Amino acid sequence: MEKDKQPKDSNIYVQMGIFAAILFVSQLISDLFPKSFVVPTSLIAMILLYILLACHIVKLHQVAKFGDFMIGLIAFLFVPSGIQLAAHLDIMKKEGLQDIIVIIISTIILLVVIAYVGALVMGIHHKITGTKDED
Amino acid sequence: MANTIVTNLALPFTGIFISLIVYLIGMWLTKISNGFFLFNPLLVGMVLGIVILAIWAKGTGSTTAAVYKKFYLPGGNMIFWFLNPATMAFAIPLYRVNDVFKKYWFDIIVIMFVGGFISLFLIQLVSKLFGLSAASTASMLPQAATTAVAMPIAAGVHGVPAVTAMACILNAVVIYALAEFLIKVLGLKKLSAVATGLSLGSAGHTVGSVKALSLGEVQGAMAAVAVVIVSLAMDILVPIYAHLFM
Repeated sequence: MEKDKQPKDSNIYVQMGIFAAILFVSQLISDLFPKSFVVPTSLIAMILLYILLACHIVKLHQVAKFGDFMIGLIAFLFVPSGIQLAAHLDIMKKEGLQDIIVIIISTIILLVVIAYVGALVMGIHHKITGTKDED
Repeated sequence: MANTIVTNLALPFTGIFISLIVYLIGMWLTKISNGFFLFNPLLVGMVLGIVILAIWAKGTGSTTAAVYKKFYLPGGNMIFWFLNPATMAFAIPLYRVNDVFKKYWFDIIVIMFVGGFISLFLIQLVSKLFGLSAASTASMLPQAATTAVAMPIAAGVHGVPAVTAMACILNAVVIYALAEFLIKVLGLKKLSAVATGLSLGSAGHTVGSVKALSLGEVQGAMAAVAVVIVSLAMDILVPIYAHLFM
């Protein structure tokens, strides 16, 4: 998929610096949104990084090594978010089982709805353009 | 002496140590059980971490919430902060499949917003059916977004971020356990590769991406796209939906 002939990875401090700089700007942008319409810093940072990569302002080799490392850690990084529930055990006692059932059903809802809406939209796309589903 | 120990236990060390230990136990259980779905390292880590804090609270005659705040949170927050650069890094797999994304970007955005809206409606309906409180229902809505994005969205619509985090973790567990079965029953192999990839990436987060990749290159690419676009879609849709229908 990568077109550019893999140049050498940038220095890891440069990579972290790029991440830190984008996060800082994203934090400033995130603060502009009102409380009723939260746009999380990480979402803004994700989109900014994509735009910078797509416009070739930031090159893949300048962020890929640190980024892949962080994505590799992500399951572990979610541990505190899960343990957070320790502060809300009252909710779990009251309706924990219902919550879990709804979550299981919701997962299947998301899978089914997006798959079939997707198939429908792609079907229309192929009809209009006269192309077939990809290779 | 006892005071010094208590003060030191309230340093970030404790939270980081507990997180590492429970996650390592989870990884070990996954390994020895050959990947039994309930031994997902993250799920084990979450349950075990809460159990440790609950036992700690019993032993010291305090509440679990108080022990969590005083001893776990300082370290937990440090790890939590690193979710920012890790979530941001999802832009990289998206850029790597930029060729496919550019080809179908308009369709993908339409699918995610229309599909996302219908899903929100159905999730609210199911929540009502099971008699969930307003706070829990609000927590259910943004679960398709990646955890670090879903939690602040939940907080914004008066949900409980902790419940949303649990939802995101369980999404991955459900997809891990049921993906093969659901792919067969729903005939996903015969559906458009773009649609299949997007649905697995949205419903199962990173675990869904792995499953999607096992179906094919386009599916895998679309799952990588889904992580970013569904987070964006949920961020815009959930507050609007909550404002209109809740």
